[in-house]
Amino acid sequence: MKARVLAGADVLKIVDLLRREGREVIAPFCGRGRDTYFDIVTDANRADIQIHLPNPYYPPKRFVFPHIERLLKVRGNDGQFQIEPTYEEPRRALFGIRSCDVEGIWHLDRFYLGRDFRDIYYEKHRLNLFLVNIVCTDPARDIGDECFCVCSDTGPAARDHFDLQLMDLGGGEFMAVAGTPAGEALFADPIFRMGTAAHVERRRAILGEVRRQFKTTTSWFPATVRYVSEGRIPEKTWEEIGNRCLECGGCTYVCPACTCFTVSDRRVGPNETERVRIWDSCALGGFTRMAGGFNPRRAVHDRRNRRFFRKLAYYFIQRELSMACVGCGRCAAVCHGDVGMPSVVEMLRRASADVNPNEPVKD
Amino acid sequence: MNPSRTENVYLPKVAILDRVVEDIAEVRTFYWHFEDPAAQTEFKRFRPGQFAQVSLFGVGEFPASLPPSPAEPETFFTVRQVGSCTGALHRLKPHDRFAVRGPYGNGFPMEQYRGKNLVFVAGGIGLIPLRSCIVYAMNHCDHYRRIQIFHGAKTPEELMYLSSLRDWEKSGHAECHLTVDRACNGWGGHVGVVGSLFKKPGVSVPVEDTIAFVCGPPIMFRFVIRDLLAMGFEERNIVSTLERYMKCGVGKCGHCCIGTAYICVDGPVFTYEQIKKLGEDI
Repeated sequence: MKARVLAGADVLKIVDLLRREGREVIAPFCGRGRDTYFDIVTDANRADIQIHLPNPYYPPKRFVFPHIERLLKVRGNDGQFQIEPTYEEPRRALFGIRSCDVEGIWHLDRFYLGRDFRDIYYEKHRLNLFLVNIVCTDPARDIGDECFCVCSDTGPAARDHFDLQLMDLGGGEFMAVAGTPAGEALFADPIFRMGTAAHVERRRAILGEVRRQFKTTTSWFPATVRYVSEGRIPEKTWEEIGNRCLECGGCTYVCPACTCFTVSDRRVGPNETERVRIWDSCALGGFTRMAGGFNPRRAVHDRRNRRFFRKLAYYFIQRELSMACVGCGRCAAVCHGDVGMPSVVEMLRRASADVNPNEPVKD
Repeated sequence: MNPSRTENVYLPKVAILDRVVEDIAEVRTFYWHFEDPAAQTEFKRFRPGQFAQVSLFGVGEFPASLPPSPAEPETFFTVRQVGSCTGALHRLKPHDRFAVRGPYGNGFPMEQYRGKNLVFVAGGIGLIPLRSCIVYAMNHCDHYRRIQIFHGAKTPEELMYLSSLRDWEKSGHAECHLTVDRACNGWGGHVGVVGSLFKKPGVSVPVEDTIAFVCGPPIMFRFVIRDLLAMGFEERNIVSTLERYMKCGVGKCGHCCIGTAYICVDGPVFTYEQIKKLGEDI
């Protein structure tokens, strides 16, 4: 991958370059307090774009998989139907997304585009999407208490799947790494200049230091993946986790790797209906309820079991080539019952240790 | 990214309802065809055991098994009225339009079962998804050895496809055994759960080289499996077709996932050996 160096004062000029290419640019902004969010860049708010900030809770997933999206429009007259699929084909750039979210989008790519049936709605959002990743380097602003990408091996610097990666080297300098030919094409602009071996060394040193700044570092995924895949988690542990779940669905809505949706028809005119898909959540009781009322997965702890099995079981890792957790820590931050991913991984690991059949020490 | 054109897998095609036949209370068979003859030809390549997504615009979409065999001239669904979508289908009249996409799912590997005995065990409307294989087996009866059908329902009025069952029996290619949980006036046949038919005097169920197709409500499924295993059936020779709440039919929406399997793309047909390993109760 090619790399260049640019001045910190020039970083937002990348946004201008992308906008000049005719792209709608999405970037992170700060609201009041902890509130941060992604928004469309305009001339008016361009100066307010933040490079270092806590990752917004509402993930950028919605720019490839909107929380509500129209699939079809159906017009019916005199018993005849015209079915018209409706597509959004934006030419967009996501500026300033974190490494965890880059990996999240990559996970969605494989889920929606890498199987027997390709999802055309996802594909049209994804096709012209340009990703500018910013590496989390500021322990005070970038790295939250719940961030644990060091455990899921997805950060703090994404290794791939971005078009351009920016990293603050300190001293008013940034390093830009191109991940695709489209990213490399930007290097033609005079704001980019060649770096030196010293810059590469600084990047390495900063990354080494940043990895030590994470507060959540005990999410031992490999052991948990093994326990979950082998079905070695006691039912009692799922019940404990279930008892703490408030069934709000928050964890699934903030998750950059959750993919489930429901489909609904709604009337929009006298002879017109539309079919939309809406994010759905396996935490909610109705998720598996069939017509007639039978629900095979009624208990809360069965549903919690489901979510973590889906994310961590070896079977699905093999199927999607990565586990469906990118270590962003959002579920841990929003969960009122403290059963986000890091806590659950820890609970599962402790519970499995209790029933370890290979435990050599007996009483 | 893949340069080839991506098809819209969520786009259904318009279908026209031809006629409706009342089967049992709240269950009707809907004969239909696609508005576009090319779509009809393409759809007719379905395999026994596959399913389709049926759209009632303004109401929604639901998965329905395909009871016809691909060789039959007509396509149809047999649907019980349980929710809003199936209710809307039941309200349609001949020549009304709705929409269908599919076929989806793996289906039964009928070719693999060549040279074997086939035992069909169906509880109530569980006979609907098995009908396709039965008709297929009857049309290819020289490929299979004995064909037996065991069908049970709560009452004689709730036995499915009675006239077809009589025709199959008359053809001499299949034995049909019926049972009801509660006999009503005029029922002279067997009374008891469907598993009790296996031990009925005069009935012999082959176990060697036999595939057992089981479909019915969860309680019936559990007991029939127990009976079959006790008779000596191997787990891999018992097949079933599962159902779940389903939205997309193409492995994306996540609703139909049981343990490690998506019912829509990995199933709906599973052997009992696979069902046991799914990692979640069915």
